[in-house]
Amino acid sequence: MKKTINIPLGSQHIALLEPVRFSFTCENETIVGVEADVGYVHRGVELACTTTFKFKQVGYVVARVCGLCAIIHSTCYTLAAEELMGQEVPRRASYLRLIANELDRIHSHMLCLAHTAENAGFEALFMRTMKDRELVMEAQEAMTGNRVQFDYVSIGGVNRDITTDIEALIRQRLGLLKEKVGEIKELFENNWSLSLKYKGVGIITAENAYRNSALGPLARASGIDFDVRNESAYLPYGELGFASVTMSEGDIHARNMVRLLEVFESIRLIESALDGLPEGEIAAKVRGTPEGESYMRVEAPRGECFYYLKASKGQYLDRVRIKTPTFGSVPAMIEALKGANYADAPAIIASFDPCLSCTAR
Amino acid sequence: MFKALLNALKNLFSAPATLNYPFVSSPKHQGARGLILFDEPKCVWCLKCEEVCPPGAIRFTQDRESYAYTYHYNPYLCIYCAECVRACPDKAQALSQCSELSRPTSDPFMNDAWFALEKEAEDSKEAVKELKKAKKTEETPQP
Repeated sequence: MKKTINIPLGSQHIALLEPVRFSFTCENETIVGVEADVGYVHRGVELACTTTFKFKQVGYVVARVCGLCAIIHSTCYTLAAEELMGQEVPRRASYLRLIANELDRIHSHMLCLAHTAENAGFEALFMRTMKDRELVMEAQEAMTGNRVQFDYVSIGGVNRDITTDIEALIRQRLGLLKEKVGEIKELFENNWSLSLKYKGVGIITAENAYRNSALGPLARASGIDFDVRNESAYLPYGELGFASVTMSEGDIHARNMVRLLEVFESIRLIESALDGLPEGEIAAKVRGTPEGESYMRVEAPRGECFYYLKASKGQYLDRVRIKTPTFGSVPAMIEALKGANYADAPAIIASFDPCLSCTAR
Repeated sequence: MFKALLNALKNLFSAPATLNYPFVSSPKHQGARGLILFDEPKCVWCLKCEEVCPPGAIRFTQDRESYAYTYHYNPYLCIYCAECVRACPDKAQALSQCSELSRPTSDPFMNDAWFALEKEAEDSKEAVKELKKAKKTEETPQP
């Protein structure tokens, strides 16, 4: 008689946020084998970027790759395209890009925290986190004019300037948020029922995380200090004194803590960017067409987002390649699920914060 | 833990965080992005907006006799990025963004009608180009 049983989870499942399919091989309650399928929302964005849209429009197309890290994708594409064109960007525009990127990181992390709470059965904390997330959404709306699809970055600079009113609003909302996130952090740290669900569950050791190319909070929770913001100066993080956050446990609790601490770090970065916001133009005049090859890495909320562009002086690009953090982390996710209880699977998957619309494009 | 319990009790008696939406309108920020407005008398017909629009929500058709352009805008395709407003020449400023309305008030285009119009926009411009060429060869005396 067969000793194992196969249980599929997804592609559509009430505990899952995204259309990902896992097939678990279980021995009693313990997961012994995992298969993952991530290609359920393929939309052909890469091909569309090279055939239907001109290079100046592609920034708006790649923003539609993902709703949660829209600005990260358009920033990454724009930086790569600017490198190809030798385009200069005003310092003020770089700072504004940084602020928009960090606001995006905060709202993405808060959404993930809310969903890990929900998948652990703590509905009230989910509601509360989503309610507090509204503060950062308002700040984004005031700054960029939209709540989700910002369309803020364009080649040569940014599309909108920041006024003193908006700056005051962002500061006020972030001040409130800091307090609220402090309370949420206390709950995540001290709540007894949450600690039962989180502590020691879904562990990835540092060695496993390194071997399976884990990225972003997944790697940093295991003690691997890997953050593109530290390694490459694509935006002026160095000038603001960025410090990455790492934990060593590698379980769900550590991932939540990394995200919470990163929210504080992002708030600090935005505030110091607003303090030292340089005066000047927000966009430079765009000249010429892209030629050659370039690649760019940007730290998305989930890890490293990678763009490769190839162009030969035309209006249309020859190749656009997008590598998103979730896709890189799939082997590490599989490793973390092995040996866990089947009942913990939804909470573990939510703690990876998988973004499948990024992954399948 | 006790703090959380206290909070839960407090929340039981506090007002809801959500809005009673259809009866209470949601707050709007200044400079929120909405529909693109077109001021025809100001337009210089440079067609730059048509060129830059990422989703192709702005199309111009050209009359085959008078060569006059007509502006067409599909609010359902528009992503409100305002790239057209920035592309509009400083002298003209024919396009602007409305911050109150993001929902079209009328229903001018269904999909099929818009597809036909997209084709017409390309065909009419091509046809006018041909006509102009033909006229030019007529006017210049043949050697």
